[in-house]
Amino acid sequence: MLKDREMEQRLRNEARTLLEQGKVDWFIGFEPGSLKFATTPLITKDKNDTERLVINSFIVNNLADFLTQIKGRVGIVAKGCDSRSIVSLIQDNKVAREDVVILGVPCTGLIDLSKVEKLTGKYRDELDDITREGNKVTIKVNGNKKDFPTTQLLFDHCLACELPTPKEYDVLLGEPSPPIANPVAQEKIEKLKQLAPEERWGVWEKELSRCIRCYACRNVCPACFCQRCFVEETEPQWVFPAPRWQDNLMFQIIRNIHVAGRCTDCGECERACPVNIPLRSLAREMYDIVGELFQFKAGMDKDAPPLLTHYEEEEAEGIFR
Amino acid sequence: MANKKINKKDIAKLLNQWGQQFAVFVPSRESGVAAMAKWDGKDTSFLDWYRNTVVPPKSNFLPPMEEMFRFQKDKEGYQIELPPDGGKQLIFGIRPCDARAMAIIDANFKDLYQDPYYLSRRNSAVLVGLGCDNPSESCFCTSMGVSPAESNDVDLMLTDIGDEFLIEEVSDKGKELIAKTTGLKGATKDDEAKAKEAKKTSYDKVTRKLDTEGIADKLQASFDDEDFWEKVAAKCVSCGICTLLCPTCYCFDINDELVRQQGTRFRSWDSCGFPTYTKMPMENPRAEKWRRVRQKVCHKFEFYPMSFDVIACTGCGRCIRLCPVNWDITQVLESVPAKAKVRK
Repeated sequence: MLKDREMEQRLRNEARTLLEQGKVDWFIGFEPGSLKFATTPLITKDKNDTERLVINSFIVNNLADFLTQIKGRVGIVAKGCDSRSIVSLIQDNKVAREDVVILGVPCTGLIDLSKVEKLTGKYRDELDDITREGNKVTIKVNGNKKDFPTTQLLFDHCLACELPTPKEYDVLLGEPSPPIANPVAQEKIEKLKQLAPEERWGVWEKELSRCIRCYACRNVCPACFCQRCFVEETEPQWVFPAPRWQDNLMFQIIRNIHVAGRCTDCGECERACPVNIPLRSLAREMYDIVGELFQFKAGMDKDAPPLLTHYEEEEAEGIFR
Repeated sequence: MANKKINKKDIAKLLNQWGQQFAVFVPSRESGVAAMAKWDGKDTSFLDWYRNTVVPPKSNFLPPMEEMFRFQKDKEGYQIELPPDGGKQLIFGIRPCDARAMAIIDANFKDLYQDPYYLSRRNSAVLVGLGCDNPSESCFCTSMGVSPAESNDVDLMLTDIGDEFLIEEVSDKGKELIAKTTGLKGATKDDEAKAKEAKKTSYDKVTRKLDTEGIADKLQASFDDEDFWEKVAAKCVSCGICTLLCPTCYCFDINDELVRQQGTRFRSWDSCGFPTYTKMPMENPRAEKWRRVRQKVCHKFEFYPMSFDVIACTGCGRCIRLCPVNWDITQVLESVPAKAKVRK
């Protein structure tokens, strides 16, 4: 398998060529961030910026989120989940396939720094280093090294990932990586589902009471592409605009219904939440319901009709005449 | 100097004593999220883990959501019912950056219009500062005139001197409270020396720097530089994290909840980063994202200083460490062009 460094070099060359030859107007990838271990989205027209592009275990953002905002042809770095979001946008006619050049990254899962902090009892900026080799992550704190299996440190959604290597791409930057599909990924959700309804209600009351309505969950979500969100409608007012927990719950429920069949379980909603609301538990449950009811997985096939905005006559069941 | 000190083991006793006069708030963690929460009367474990809160203590004075009044229509017109007084708060453990933030936004709440909700809470509250000895890599308070373990914006200031905290009386309110507090010991010269050393150590731990020299002028000159602002705003996702959780952001929205002839008027946090900001009276004049990002930056570093002679940022670093795309205000401000671009 190609190492991140080699993929990175290839990516930089490809991105530079795309901009140089005018095949794209914009390029979207990741560059080093301003905080330890962090990366940050790089959105540029300048071919010289491509020298800063990186690929590593911290390229957390789902870059497909920016596609609906940018006009023109775009070259974009896509992990498996990002590629599914791009495909889903193509299915919804929000993005034209010929307007994107997808540089696919075979992903082996991203490191969840919150899990690292929990395991080490240290804040991320107190760590000396995090390195990774295959299924082993080595964390160095105060000069001491300790190894952990990746299954303890990857994001839950990465552990659940069904498509780490993009299926839809123009260039694949490395050898395909296998799905991880580790049962750990579902633990948090299964625990919730085993609770009695009243207890579960209590959990969500507590969790959603922290919501401040920053809408980061919605704004980092590529599937949330509405020009105007229902939550901002005033006539009628579907949801009260202040952060009362019941209204926060309504917001999340409706949002999840709106992205049903579009959500690829990229986990960005939960990662972006500044007050740690376990939003992926809702999103993944909806993802599984969609899978069970319709045998549909978002963003797997750009030629498949979108799930809930398309119907066949025989599906009408006598409702439509 | 008549400074006092208290053993760390006795903090619970102290808080209980104060709890008879005040609603005591301490740093607390729920699902890993630190915020000031009503003290449970026992738990002082925050002394071990506390760095700073995710939700700034401004929420004790300008809550994310609050009831302004209830109203009911009858034959005589509207009957108004005000919410009950929440009582006096004592915020224990506020960091100097957040205490400064309160002092900064006070100016806004008592300027042209006296905000009774904010001011009554603020005037009756006691702020007990706790020196910050482990600033995060996103903190840049020392560039904003704040020292992580020193404050003139609190009533009492605590400094960690080993097994004990040194207690300084910063304001008259603080002095009065200490006069009525029992169980404190007098601080020795040695304690004072230790505290001084601790403050210096904390100060030196803040590594992120921002040069604010002439920043307002630079921003004014670059106001029309669309290319610059578009570039700066490109990766922003227009969420409200950096504004809502900023200790100096104070924008709010007002909404009525109406059921038949009665209702409640609420106010809640709002953000100039939202496309729907100021949609209520008219349209948002800042439809494009770059205009909203520019507004956020300029309000803090150009407009607020114009009105109140102080930059509305204390370098607490929340906007950097909580941002989902690692948008970094220090990088943005460092990159503001020194001279205005000549427009073609």
